[in-house]
This record gives sequence, C-alpha cells and structure tokens, in this order.
Amino acid sequence: MTATLTTCPYCGTGCMLYLLSDGQGRLVGVEPSAGHPVSRGQLCVKGWNAHAFVQHPDRLKTPLVRRNGTLEPAGWDEALDLVHQRFRQISAAHGPDSLVFFSSAKVGNEENYLLMKLARVGYGTNNIDHCARLCHSSTVTGLVETLGSGAMTNTVACLDETDLVLVIGSNTTEQHPLIGSRILQATQRGCRLIVADGRRIKLSRHADLHLRHRNGTDVALLNGIMQQILELGLENRAFIEERTENFTALQESLAAFTPERVAAITGLQADEITAAARMFGTAKRAMLLYAMGITQHSHGVDNVRAVSNLALLTGNLGKPGTGVNPLRGQNNVQGACDMGALPDVLTGYQKVAEPSVRDRFAAAWGRPLPDRPGLMATHAFDAALAGRARAFFILGENPVLSEANQAHVVKALAAIDFLVVVDIFPTETSAFADVVLPAACYAEKDGTFTSTERRVQRFRRALPPPGEARADWEILSALLERCGLPAGYPGPGQIMDEIAAVTPSYGGISYPRLEESGLQWPCPNHDHPGTPILHRQSCTRGKGRFSPVDFRPSRELPDAAYPLLLNTGRTGMHWHTGTMTRRSHLLDREEHSAFIEIHPEDAARLSIRDRQQVSVESRRGEVRVMATLTDRVPLGQVFMPFHFVEGAANALTNNALDPESGIPEFKVCAVRITPC
Amino acid sequence: MQPRPCPNQPPSVYAPRPCRLLSVTDLTPQEKLFRLQLHDGEELGHLPGQFVQVSVPGLTEAPISVASSPDRHGAFDLGVRRAGRLTTALHALRPGALLGIRGPFGRPFQLDALAGKDLLLIAGGCGLAPLRSLLQYCEDHRDRFGVLHLLYGARSPADLMFKEDLQEWQQGECFDCRVTVDQVPATGCYDGATGLVTGLLGDLDLMPHRTVAVLVGPPPMYRPLLEVLERKGIAKTSIMLSLERMMRCGIGKCGHCSIEHLLCCQDGPVFWLPEIEYLRGAL
Amino acid sequence: MLKRLDRADLEKLLAALATGYRLLTPQRLADGTRLHRPHGEGALALQGEPVQRKPTEAFFPQHDPLLRIGEQGEVTTCDPPDRPVALFGLNAADLACIAFIDRFFADPPADDHYLARRKDALLVGLTGFAGPGGDFLPPANGMCDLELLALGQNWLGVPWTPRGEALLEGFPDGEQAEVEELQETARTRGNPAQDLLEKAAGLVASEVVPDDFWREIGDRCILCSGCNLACPTCTCFCVEDRQEQAATLRSRVWDSCQFDAFMREASGHNPLGTEALRTRRRIHHKLAADVTRWGEFGCLLCGRCDRVCPTGIGIQAVAAEILARFGA
Repeated sequence: MTATLTTCPYCGTGCMLYLLSDGQGRLVGVEPSAGHPVSRGQLCVKGWNAHAFVQHPDRLKTPLVRRNGTLEPAGWDEALDLVHQRFRQISAAHGPDSLVFFSSAKVGNEENYLLMKLARVGYGTNNIDHCARLCHSSTVTGLVETLGSGAMTNTVACLDETDLVLVIGSNTTEQHPLIGSRILQATQRGCRLIVADGRRIKLSRHADLHLRHRNGTDVALLNGIMQQILELGLENRAFIEERTENFTALQESLAAFTPERVAAITGLQADEITAAARMFGTAKRAMLLYAMGITQHSHGVDNVRAVSNLALLTGNLGKPGTGVNPLRGQNNVQGACDMGALPDVLTGYQKVAEPSVRDRFAAAWGRPLPDRPGLMATHAFDAALAGRARAFFILGENPVLSEANQAHVVKALAAIDFLVVVDIFPTETSAFADVVLPAACYAEKDGTFTSTERRVQRFRRALPPPGEARADWEILSALLERCGLPAGYPGPGQIMDEIAAVTPSYGGISYPRLEESGLQWPCPNHDHPGTPILHRQSCTRGKGRFSPVDFRPSRELPDAAYPLLLNTGRTGMHWHTGTMTRRSHLLDREEHSAFIEIHPEDAARLSIRDRQQVSVESRRGEVRVMATLTDRVPLGQVFMPFHFVEGAANALTNNALDPESGIPEFKVCAVRITPC
Repeated sequence: MQPRPCPNQPPSVYAPRPCRLLSVTDLTPQEKLFRLQLHDGEELGHLPGQFVQVSVPGLTEAPISVASSPDRHGAFDLGVRRAGRLTTALHALRPGALLGIRGPFGRPFQLDALAGKDLLLIAGGCGLAPLRSLLQYCEDHRDRFGVLHLLYGARSPADLMFKEDLQEWQQGECFDCRVTVDQVPATGCYDGATGLVTGLLGDLDLMPHRTVAVLVGPPPMYRPLLEVLERKGIAKTSIMLSLERMMRCGIGKCGHCSIEHLLCCQDGPVFWLPEIEYLRGAL
Repeated sequence: MLKRLDRADLEKLLAALATGYRLLTPQRLADGTRLHRPHGEGALALQGEPVQRKPTEAFFPQHDPLLRIGEQGEVTTCDPPDRPVALFGLNAADLACIAFIDRFFADPPADDHYLARRKDALLVGLTGFAGPGGDFLPPANGMCDLELLALGQNWLGVPWTPRGEALLEGFPDGEQAEVEELQETARTRGNPAQDLLEKAAGLVASEVVPDDFWREIGDRCILCSGCNLACPTCTCFCVEDRQEQAATLRSRVWDSCQFDAFMREASGHNPLGTEALRTRRRIHHKLAADVTRWGEFGCLLCGRCDRVCPTGIGIQAVAAEILARFGA
C-alpha cells in the first residue's frame, strides 16, 4: 500500500492529493492533502476521482504508425525516427515554419519547456502554442498591457480576507470548485458577492446582486459600473494619482456609458448597474474573479482591459483581499504559458522578437533562435488549409473537440502532410494521426505544474506507465537528441534547473524547495520565499495603465434564421473533451450523454419536451443532443458543454477570433433548434 | 489477489451464474422477451414478483423482474425495455448467447395473503412483465383464487406488451381482462378502449371486503390509481404494489434502492401500501 | 486483566503485531496529513485528530475488485490478502463505526466479500489523552481486541478479546484506579456533540424541518461527494466493469447519494431528483432512517464529513443549524 503526494490533474486550482495504490500496482483511491494551503483536506468531485481513469483499458500502450491507412503498433525507435525524418523532410521542402507544435497545459513545466525548445532550436520555428490560446490568451495580452503581468495577481487565500467578490464569467463552484467553495465560505462570514453571469449558476443563489447581462456585453456592463463609480465619487483618487496612468482617457471613454444606455445593451435594469457600482465602490477590499466568460469573445482582450480598469479605478490591487484574478482552466495552463509554449515569448514571457533575449537563449542552448513570432494555434488551421502549415506535432491536446468550428479543424487536419499526436488515450484527433505516441499520465511520472495562483508544485510518480508508454519529457528528450541537442536529463529536476537558469521569475525554483506546498512565482533566487501577491509597491510594468475600451457586439448574434444564442462551457463533472472524465466511472455515470440547456418557455414555443432529442444547427454544423429544460439559462439563450463527441458543441461554435489574442468566440453564436 | 476456481455453488453473493439465452421475442418496439435457462440446468427457484440481476460483462448488471411463473419449469422469462446501455446490449443478443444471472432477490407477491381472495390485478406499461409471473401462477392454480380482474394500460396500441397472452387472457375463462391505451395514433387500427388505466375501474363490480389489489406500473401511475381504489372501497391493507428502483446488488448492501429505512431489493420490491405510503419518495 | 505499558513496551507490542498482521499505524505525513500507513514506514503519530481517511477502508476500499468473469462466464473471486490487517490507534467513534458496518455487512444475506476481509483483522483502540495536542478522548470500552488508554508517557492496556489478552500477556500490570479516573473524566466531560445530534435527530425524524431548509443547504453543496466518501458508516457503492485482456474485472466503488445519478433510472425517473431531496436524504438517513432500521444513529460523530466539506455543511454543522432554527 502506498500513498503518493501529488497535484490534481484537472483544473488550475492546484489542489494536492494522495494517490493511494494497493502495493500491487493498482490505484485504489484518493485522499486530499490536509496541509496544503488550497486543498486543506478537501477536494472536488473530479479530485476525488483523479485515480479513476489512470488504469482504464483504453490507455495507449505502444507507439502506432499509420501503414496503408491504418494505425499499427510500432517500436519506439521506428516511430521517433519516422517523426524526425518526416519533420526534416517537410522543413527542407517548405521551410521550418511549415511545422506546427501544439504543447499541452496538461503536461508538466519541464515538458512544455522541452517542446518549446524542440520547436525553436530543434526544428527552427516559433510555431509553438497550446490551449491557453483558447482560454486565457486574452488575459495574457490584456493584463500584460495594463499591469505588466498576465497572471492572477493575488492568491486563493485572499478570499478569506476580502470584503467583496465580483465574479464575472466564471462558474466557479463547478470549474474551480475549491475556489468556488472558498467564495461560499466568504459569504457565510459576511463578505458580499456580486455575480455577473447570464446563467443562474450556483454562486448566483448566494449573491447579494446577480447581474444577468446578455452574453457578450461585458464591456458595456463594466464601463457602466465604472461610469457610475465616478458619478458617485467612489473611485480611489490617491491610488489613481500614485499608481496609474492614462486616467483622463478612461474618464472620457466612460462618459457615454450611462446606466440607461448600458441597460439597453446589457438587458439589465439601470438601477442594477448603479447598485453594483455602489456595492463595489464602497467595499474596503474587493476581489475581481473571472474566467472564460470574459476571455472567450472576439473582444476578449477588451473585456480583460475593462476588468483591469475597474480594479485600478478602485485601487483594488497589490494588497491582500483584492486583485484581478483570472482563474486559469487547466492544471498547468499557467505553467505552459510561463514556459513559453507560446509563439511570441520564451520562458517567463521574454519576447522572441527581442534580440538580447534570443542571444541569451542561444548562448544557453548552443543554437540560434528563429526571430519571427510564430503562428497562434487558432491561425494554424487556416495556415494548414492554405498549404503553409504541413506537419503538426500535437502533444496532449484534442483540437477536433476543443477548437471552435470543428469542421474547419477536421478539414485542416485532413489537409496536412503529417500529423503526430502524443496522448494517453486515443482521441478524436489521434484518429487523424500518422504517428501516435503513448504517453505516461500525471500519475506515472514526475514534474511540476503551476497553478492559477502561480504556485509551482510537484506531481509525483505513483506507478509505472502502462505498456511501453513513456513520460513526455523522455519522448521529447529522444527527439531533441535526434536534432543533435544534448538532452541527457537524468530526470525532470535537472530540466527545472535549466529552466531556472534561463527564467528570472523561476530563478529560485528547484525541486528540493518544492517538497511540501510549492512556491509562488516570481521567485528570482534561492533565498526568495515566493510572491503570493503581485504589484505590491508598483505594477510589474511600473504604473498601472488604464486602457479605455469601447463596446463591440459579438460577431454572430441571433437572427430570424438562427434565433437562439448558444453559450458553451463545461460542467462540474467533466473535463474538456472527456478523454479522462468519460473514462472515470462515477463522473461518466452522472453525466453520460450530450445535452443542451433550454429555457422552458423557449422549449414550449418549439414544442420540445424535457429529455427529448433535438437537432441544434448553426451556420457551421449540426448536432443531435438531449434537451434539458431549465431556467438556469435566460430566455433566448441555450447552453451546451463541449465534453461530448456525440453532440459536439464545437461543431456549432464560431471561430471568429479576437484580433489581438486570437481567441475564438466560444461564448456567443447563433443556433436554431428543432425537435427530432 | 489469487484467482480461486469456481465450484458449483456461486463462490460469492456477487458472482453471477452462467445462463443461456434460449429465445428472444419482440414484445413492442422497445421491449423484448428473453427466455433463459441456467447453464447447469438448475431451476431459478424464484417466486412471482421477484427479480434477478442480469450481468453483461463490461456493462455490470441491471435488475430485471422475472416475467414467468416458477411453475413453468426449465426456463424463465425476462421482459426487458431498452432504456440504458445494458438493456440496449441485451436487445442485441441472439439465442445461444451467454449471460450471467444473480438471484432471485426480493420479497415476492404474498401468495398466502392472496389465496381465496378476489384479485384486482393492475398493470401499467412494462409493469405487465413482473405481473405476468403472478398471472401465470393464477392460471396454473386457478382454484386458489376467487374472481380475477386484470386491468392493463399502455401508452399506445404498439406499446401493449404480451399481445398473444393478452388475447388468451381476454378470450379465456381465467381472467376478466380489460385493456386500454392512453392514445391511438391517427394511422392506427385499434378498436379497444382508450384512456388511462384508472378509467377501467369505473364500472368494475368489486366486492371490496374480499378483494386484494395488486399494482405494478411506472411511478406516476400509483397515486391516481390509489385515489380511485379508495373510492371503490378497497382497504389500504388490501393493496399490494411493486416498486421500481435502481437495485445494484440485490442483497441490501449497495444502497441505491433505499426508501428511507427500507431497502427495496430486500424489503420489497413488493410492499403492502401501509408499509410505504408514509415514506417520503416512496410513491 | 489490565496492563501498563511504557514506550518500550508499546514498541514491543507493535513489533509483535507486525509479525502476524499487516500492521497499520497512524503516521503524520510531510504535508501534515495523518493517515494509517504500514507500520515502520514513517514516524508514529500517537496523538492527533482522527486519521483522515476512514478506517473502514481497510475492509471496504474506495475501489474494491470483487471478481473476474472469463469469456465463458466463469467467475473467480478476488481473495483477500494473505495476512489479515491490524488497525492500530482507533478512537471510540471509529471503533463504533466499524462495529456499525460490521453489523450492516453481516446482516443476511451477508456480504461475503466484506466478511472475508474483516474476518481475522485485529482492532486496537487508542483513547485517553491521545487527541490533538494530547486532548482527552473518551474510552471505547470494547468494540476492539484491545484498547490502549493513553496517560501521557504511558498506556493502560485493556484486552477485550482473547486475542487481545494474548497480545498483552507478559506486560506489567496496571492500576484499575487509573482506568476509573479516565472513565470519570469521560463522564464529567459528557458529550455535547451527541446531545446536539440527538436533539437535531428528533427534529428531523418528526419532519419539522421544512423542504426549504434542505434546499438552502443543498444550495451550499458543490457536489464534491466528500462527505460520503469520508464517512466510515457510508457503505453505498456502485459497480464498475473493466475489460482486462479477455476477462472482465468487476469492482465496487464508493458511491455518493448526493449524485443525481445515484437513484436515477434508465427512464430518467429519479426518486431523489432534486438537490433538496438528496441533501435531506444524507442527513435523514443517518439521523432517522438508520435509527428505525438499526436502532442506532448512522453518525457516530467521527467528524470527518465536517472536516472534508468545502462549504461547511457536514452533518454536525447541519445539525447545529437545524437546532438553531427549528429547535425552539
């Protein structure tokens, strides 16, 4: 019987748990870590089931190579040689930028680092990206501009000290349950709660104010709140004076956002906006929490700017119980960004375009770096269809289900010359692959994840990988060596040492220091205790910058042909494309098929009964799912989770992109529904 | 964990006994009748109203009521509606297939309490399958009972289960058998009664003091039916009903079929009305 | 027979236990979690809060392989490990919980799978001054093979079964008066949590708690299922099949009545179809239904659900709220 302390593989909250095994190689359960500052002896339902998929019989156990149209078992050397040889060929014929690398927010920091190194100096391209493009790319772009750092400014524990929480576009109790529960505990001790979300999510039942604004009108709402804060004189003049710049421009931009105009745009009552402004403006310490409801819009960066403006306007930055707190989705999406698995930056957000940065990395890695920023993941599929991107290396992602506009992705994957997929299970994406490489999952290897509160913490091997599956860092090391780069790392700890040497914000991080509950970056040197709260004396960029934004409507709104607004997201039971949770018995039993939430009045109008099969169509696709009648969704809006291949929400969604961050508009598109 | 050879007796209360599928008959578009025989030729040994756990490797088990009388020897019947993954897999099976069976489980219809009485046997929807075990028993032991009323309601003519049996029961001497459907599609040719099963009770001549009512149907059927029975003067102590729950183990351990302090798989599925009517969520 | 053990004696006793049993002792892990671990793996934590994971796990694990079904339907059961387990360091509540589920699984038709794991297992109580920081824990007065009553640096050893007696053979005798003193301490301290639970149970059983209350508590539930998974008297399980080569491995897995699918039927019908009903079930089952069926509360006040609940609606918290609102 063994108990292995490790980090949960699901969301970015970063709970730690013990994986329990029976001593004969079988995982038998999970127990939360009592001493960890976030989990505190507690877990959510996915955490309690974090062992359940690990030994599922579907696990990939041997490399597969496509021969005569079918994927067949192959040896590791054969598979890796083929990958290397085809990448070399395609690069020679079409240039290194015809190669595209997708890294993964599910694998460790060390592995993200190695893949980004492989892409950049192994194969000579900055075409490296990962699913942060689909979740918080808007945050990174927006907050780097306004504050200088694209991460959660405060810590989860700050919820114990705040007086007001504004949650906008986050179904926190389902998506970051141990943060959501901390909000509920805060309300129990008298902390006020404003929830801005069209859906009647669980948090809204505890809110002092629930703002059910129309999807896609967040800029108007936030500008309206700020306009009223100024009107009521509740802005923090001293903070604005000392710590910010560009206030006059903001002030001017807000003038037009009167409560009446904002009410007309958002569908709220004018006095709700004033009430929100008064509540937020008078709170001594207020925390802003947001997630995909803010970022996944064709104006996602503007949404983030507006959130940041509100925090700066009221001085809610740089102290306990405040801050701009984007809740990162994946267990290691923060880390994958930190590691530079992005087309424009290296580790610690050091810009590829900066010659001095490239020089430093070239010195460390012994090879020059390509200087032009690479393709964003969401642009890579267009490039594939245009013949510019010819080979994809996809590590632990399933874009066929996770990207907007599934038909577009499928067409692109069918068009390219060569596809490599590294994963733990066969996926909808690996079905298109020429080579499939079986990876160890989180329970079978060592490494670090960085949680949403910038906490770098260990995950640990509890049992060996199945069959011939290997840790991603081992697979990537083998490819680095084929590229002639030294990669004889004895283990991930040594990779972290290399990361620390080239990354100022990780400079003080090493495995011996991470034994218990990790360290929060920036942690620049070996004596530094880590940084729970950012922007304390001044912002990372110096002054906090107000970045005025105007309201732009979503790109596709309901009309006569497609009269309902489709909102997409996740449920509390499942994780993303379901590769893990749909193979976890209890989670799969709780929600075992695709569904769409419809308001009972809309359903009545369309003659749709509860649990009936319906067809949902958008301009991009059609799926059949079960109707769930509920007033959780507002009238005129429907909601679908994107977990289910048999009723894929992303067959419908719109791949209209934010011009700056390249994030697709997952949260708004137009559909029509007919009973089957 | 060492494998242990399987003796004749099941090695554990959780071990299914191998069972051969003899035949499959379509009952309705959603329901099929499966005739099964235990692999070793043994009798199932059940009583009317009991259920078995049908095991399909890979899909676990589902509780299914036995639809035949213990006196029809050599094999037993299960009427199965296609609803979930396991029952969908069952529907795809062909004769000769191997299944696993555990049971029989649960408290049967109380035959002693029924002896010598007029019986008002009421089934709704696929409730006719469990009731059929008692109906066959009544046919085989006709002299033990007084008047036998059989009322059956289904959603539509196509949803009527056991159509051949119904025809026999309607034409034969054994039962006063009445059938109704909720609705008839415009295209259908059906000349029987329409309306809810409660409607069949209206002009029924009952002797309340010597009648026991036995009800088996979907959950929404019970409350309206009980109101009518009360009006008809049937005492609550003379009403027996069979409840449907998601039994997983059949031996009172898994907890999925609990109704307050009762366990449907052991204390039921057949209950006397007064035993459960005061319990939250029972009806 | 009453014995008095010093630290060296205790080590001797543990060594003796470790020869015949798979001995599990409470240990404090690096992150602060107190768990039952194989003896000798880490340092003993003889004082502290109850071990975090429910001790009944030793006989009814979270994922519990029941049997294998071969291609021809042949069944092989999964036998228990060769050596029986010895659980050391259980407080009175945990021992009562084990006794509770012993009776549950033995009730005919008995659960042979559980009984095979439980049969030769040995239980060692650890009470007296063995709580967090040396706080007092009331004596168990039975329900185990032997009980150690912590006095500070020493332990009184009380055997409750012949096996317990044999294990204590040879240690120096103890003073009965010291046991009496501990019993007296327990009596004077009383059990306020038990009193609270009984009062709340009375209100629940007499149905004076309205549905609105259950809805409100349900609104605070984030559906982690931790309360059920942490509860030593929760025995509900679901069944999972996995294909392993040609065979099917059938296991049982801890389940939670807080899931919508717990009682949902394939037709969609669900007797526990709302959060309010499921919340009521969680509390009512322990405080009322178990009393009707088994003559005893299903909550023995181990405190685990209150500790594991991320939103503060464990059974003692809910009982206190019931009493505060409907107890007048």
